[in-house]
Amino acid sequence: MSSEHDCKNRVPTRNINVSCTDCSLNPICLPVAVNDTQLEELDNIIKRSKPMKKGEHLFRASDPFASIYAVRSGTIKTYSVTEDGEEQVTGFYLPGEVLGVDGISTNIHSNSAKALETAAVCEIPFEKLEFLSAKIPSLQRHFFQLMSKEIQADQQLIMLLSKKSAEERIASLLLSISTRHTKRGLSASGFRLPMSRNDIGNFLGLAVETVSRVFTRLQKQGVIHVDGKEVEVLDMQGLCHMANGMESNAKSA
Amino acid sequence: MHLVKENSELGSLWDSEFIRQHDVAGPRYTSYPTALQFHEEFTHQDYLDAVARSNASRMPLSLYIHLPFCASLCYYCACNKVITQSDEKKRFYLDALIKEIRMKSADFDSGRPVYQMHWGGGTPTYFSEAELTELWFEVGRHFHLVDAERGEYSIEIDPRTMTPDKLGLLKGLGFNRISLGIQDFDQRVQEAINRVQSYQQIEELMEASRNYHFRSVNFDLIYGLPYQSVASVRGTIEQVIELSPDRISLFNYAHLPQRFKSQGLLPEEALPPAEEKLQILCAASNQLLEAGYVYIGMDHFAKPTDELALAQAAGSLHRNFQGYTTFKDADLVGLGVSSISLINNVYCQNTKSISEYQGLMEASASPIISGVMLSTDDEIRREVIMSLLCQNWLVPAQIEEHFGIVFSEYFRNEIMELNGFVQEGLLTHQGGVYNVTPKGRLVVRKICMLFDIYLPQHMKDGVRFSRVL
Repeated sequence: MSSEHDCKNRVPTRNINVSCTDCSLNPICLPVAVNDTQLEELDNIIKRSKPMKKGEHLFRASDPFASIYAVRSGTIKTYSVTEDGEEQVTGFYLPGEVLGVDGISTNIHSNSAKALETAAVCEIPFEKLEFLSAKIPSLQRHFFQLMSKEIQADQQLIMLLSKKSAEERIASLLLSISTRHTKRGLSASGFRLPMSRNDIGNFLGLAVETVSRVFTRLQKQGVIHVDGKEVEVLDMQGLCHMANGMESNAKSA
Repeated sequence: MHLVKENSELGSLWDSEFIRQHDVAGPRYTSYPTALQFHEEFTHQDYLDAVARSNASRMPLSLYIHLPFCASLCYYCACNKVITQSDEKKRFYLDALIKEIRMKSADFDSGRPVYQMHWGGGTPTYFSEAELTELWFEVGRHFHLVDAERGEYSIEIDPRTMTPDKLGLLKGLGFNRISLGIQDFDQRVQEAINRVQSYQQIEELMEASRNYHFRSVNFDLIYGLPYQSVASVRGTIEQVIELSPDRISLFNYAHLPQRFKSQGLLPEEALPPAEEKLQILCAASNQLLEAGYVYIGMDHFAKPTDELALAQAAGSLHRNFQGYTTFKDADLVGLGVSSISLINNVYCQNTKSISEYQGLMEASASPIISGVMLSTDDEIRREVIMSLLCQNWLVPAQIEEHFGIVFSEYFRNEIMELNGFVQEGLLTHQGGVYNVTPKGRLVVRKICMLFDIYLPQHMKDGVRFSRVL
């Protein structure tokens, strides 16, 4: 199903030259901390590289940690490589979200980051930010606040996912994506899953068959409707209950 | 040589009669020489020379960061702290601290790995999420922290300033150990010390700490507080055992209202008398042992599966200003007001005055105001004392090999007294090795004091030390 409703929720690919002033994400990103004249200065330190192609890397594990990145459009996945050479997905980053903070402890990125689809990011180099923060202390404070929220959210998701059944994990992920959409002022109930079933399974520690089976079950129960990558949540309360390990109220199909 | 002792021997051997007989006031030996030996003639050049030797040694580093602010006053507290509601004051201090991090880190070779870091206070978690993130970021950028798998990164937590979500941040930053200030669960006691926190609060944090997979959780408890009785503390320990922390520190409250003004706010008449305090200590300790905890030494207990207990069993336990640790031979860099560093063979301390500290940092001057350089004799005695405290044994052959001395000649006088301790049951002496007996471990500082060359002078000067009681 690809209703009109869904299309409106699609994040448009932004003009890469758009400034902080015009960026629709600015209420949840750095500019919230600065006034109009300062915004221009902030704008000047932020690097906006050309759009990333699907599969292109933003950084790789063991790269030095000098910047963090805010996703402007598209989706970035982070992953690490286990000792056996297996890829382990560690997170998905949607527009308005900040990634790269995995290097904060060790000065080296512990994960790699790769675009799941055409994506655009803003790079915020630390040294320049520091320089600017000397003039605008509120900026630095807000920056670390943003960073702490990201770290906290990452940990929460990892924690939630580590202790749940397959159904609970998938419901948690869907709920997480829905909540993140709402934060950007988009619909909570209709969104596109930018990642493959394989990536979902890898991230959640589930076999890809299990992922498909649970999606089918959720659909039969009338909790969600799935059409390829498009998801519509039909029973938000049921999804919440599932994510929290409670019996779903949804009627079985 | 059978050097590893069974902890189970300690069973219910926590013997009040024995402690009464042997307890003496003395230093806790988080360092030797103790901080009393630090002097102000210690110069910045002394520090720089020590750093040069330290860099040449390529030894790993350990960091201690002091964050002195608290939202409210706990009446028993004798720490270096500032009570404030002002975010600005905290910010001002943080800026000074970050400056010290940048300055001091520049002294050390950048490749030297940091395997251990501890944030103490005060109340480190009184700083906001953003400030904690900023501080960690600054440390991470200026020192070479190894990853959280290999490092031991701990922070002291006042449960009243903590939420499960904030714990998630601490984990995300890289902390893998936490220490919760519990003190006592009895409400009457909590009200008397001006530190009220519910069991439910702690329970919630414990659940979160398990879910976030912290490697180890420590509880700080205190005995000797107003309104405590054997029965009331038994209740607290029961709840502690229920919550099942990996480590427990059971500290003695020393009532010195002349020295620490806020202690005068405690209802003196409600303090348990010495005899009852002793009964509390013994009952609480035996209760912990019966629940399966192992006595590590000097106030500390741990689960037998905890790294601390494993390290002690393996003979690889060490002791520094943060108490017991599994890391050996790291130079300790202290950051923040009043913090102590151990760099090569030098101890040195930052100023204890927060305004002086901030002033010095603003002027980009060194905050170190006192210190001491260890003589060879100091180093020999330190090794003896630390071996007694951490390994519960003294192997003269090891000391001889390490320092090229003849133990029986170097410590001629001490050996005579050591033999006295053997007679009294504090030690055994077999196969050339002195082992501290399970009972002797309860009063081990008495044995250590024998090797403290500075002690007689301090005793003469009337310096007051803490006791077990």
